[in-house]
Amino acid sequence: MIGYILRRLVALGLTLFAAALVIFVVLEILPGDPAAVTLGLNAAPEALAALRAEMGLDKPAALRFFLWLGGLVTGDLGQSYTYRVPVLQLITERMAVTLPLALMAIALATAIGIPLGMLAASRHGRLADAGVMAFAQAGLAIPNFWFGLLLVLVFAVGLGWLPAGGFPGWQAGIGVSLKALLMPALALALPQAAIIARVTRSSMLDTLQEDFVRTARAKGLSESTTMRRHALRNALIPVVTILGLQFSVLIAGAIIIENVFALPGLGRLVFQAIAQHDLIVVKDLVMLFAGLAILINFAVELLYGLIDPRLRQS
Amino acid sequence: MSAVEDKAPGGKRHWWLAPSFVIGVVLATLVVAAALLSYVWTPYQPTQMMILNRLKGPSAANWFGTDQFGRDVFSMIMVGARNSLAVGLGAVGIGMVAGTTLGLVASVRRDGILDHIIMRTADFTHAFPAVLTAIMMTAIAGPGMLNAIVAIAVLNLPYFARLARGAALQVWAQDFIQAARAAGLNNRQITLRHVLPNIAGILVVQATIQFALAVLAEAGLSYLGLGTQPPNPSWGRMLNEAQTFMAAQPWLAIFPGAAIALTVLGFNLLGDGLRDAVDPRLRRAR
Repeated sequence: MIGYILRRLVALGLTLFAAALVIFVVLEILPGDPAAVTLGLNAAPEALAALRAEMGLDKPAALRFFLWLGGLVTGDLGQSYTYRVPVLQLITERMAVTLPLALMAIALATAIGIPLGMLAASRHGRLADAGVMAFAQAGLAIPNFWFGLLLVLVFAVGLGWLPAGGFPGWQAGIGVSLKALLMPALALALPQAAIIARVTRSSMLDTLQEDFVRTARAKGLSESTTMRRHALRNALIPVVTILGLQFSVLIAGAIIIENVFALPGLGRLVFQAIAQHDLIVVKDLVMLFAGLAILINFAVELLYGLIDPRLRQS
Repeated sequence: MSAVEDKAPGGKRHWWLAPSFVIGVVLATLVVAAALLSYVWTPYQPTQMMILNRLKGPSAANWFGTDQFGRDVFSMIMVGARNSLAVGLGAVGIGMVAGTTLGLVASVRRDGILDHIIMRTADFTHAFPAVLTAIMMTAIAGPGMLNAIVAIAVLNLPYFARLARGAALQVWAQDFIQAARAAGLNNRQITLRHVLPNIAGILVVQATIQFALAVLAEAGLSYLGLGTQPPNPSWGRMLNEAQTFMAAQPWLAIFPGAAIALTVLGFNLLGDGLRDAVDPRLRRAR
């Protein structure tokens, strides 16, 4: 087991390193002069020289890469050119919106997807099953940002129950803040809920064929107890995997959804940073997003290895 | 949806009669037809502004109404279909050709260093959703349709690499490969003459499903302004522009979104149906 964890850790380190290298090459080497990209065509030579020095562009590229890597490890991510504050500070502030949004979306997706998948499996081949599968098809086809707009049309414009966008800040109160995050989280959750419903259904259908389920039924357990205690528990393993693997999709979704609802999170920050050509912020944020996806995948693989010893061999 | 199984008189199931597959074919055909028709005919010029006629609701003259510049929404959606399909085709085409090539090479060099490098690289691209790649490209080169194509192609590559490798390994294990080898064919000839034709079916099915995902991703990118640029109409950007006016004119947000959803649904159902045809064992699982 320790050997397995060590091998995975080495692979994790290499993957993170490769991701950093790709991001560095694309955002710092390919543009030629990142300072010129940041300042635009009409920049004064003095301003360019000052920014080049600030970004450390006078140093060789390899050294800059390792300095940046060191900064990533120690939390020194440099200073944003536009905001004139440390990037780490920007990220922590914005994380207070993106993290709760992502967590709410995962919670909603699970709360909607798992019961629907169970319902479909227990009514396999009947109307409820077809209904859930139709929901899943729709959930996968509807763009989440369009679903967000439709939610705004109904609940903000039509009924006036929820704010159409913006975020009051946690200091304004937990209630109003959660209210502001509800529609964005629901929009973000829709495709995830559809996937979870499909995976739960097919995983349950497989599990229901297993001998231990027949045994549970044979010893007289009610159908609902069999489903909950025996079938669901085993059927959830693939669902957890999918949740982990879907994380990068969730991040991509959050970038769009935060822009739909004007939420001051990381997704909106990266987008504003592009508009302002703030390459320092773009580089750090892209690394953060990619790094998070890699770390979550690693955690899922590790968990999977813990559950299923056969995987440790490969 | 695929729970519906149609039986022919002899008890044989006809996968192409499944209602979901028929719906998929109809929707996909409609979108492709609208895109092709837009080259020769649209009710109005999609970029033609008629300010006096701005923000009108759906009517006999403008089926889907007009936008804030008085442009005909129906005409814009027709031309938008062209752009969505072009980005989808380009992205999936590049992803499929490059991914399949890498997957085939990996299958020939099974468990070799090249195999490991190719497959680890494919795993690694998972960490970069299309929107991240597009963000990086836009940050250094400005926004454009090409960014969207490349970003979505990068996303598609690992799917095809993994699929092609897995399917190819199964073909390599077959007896007729031994026969081909005995006949003096080298790895490249066997790959091109025997392995590729045998896995082409699965690849095409996957391409249909990836195509649906590509249309969805393109819509997201152009909504953010990272994809197709004005004055070229695109469904995603139409939704972005609609946001300002949708309180008073909700149809502006409804029609382009419905166009995206129905296109994605159509190609998803089409892909599911084709998959049932290629591999009937998968039918129950879904």
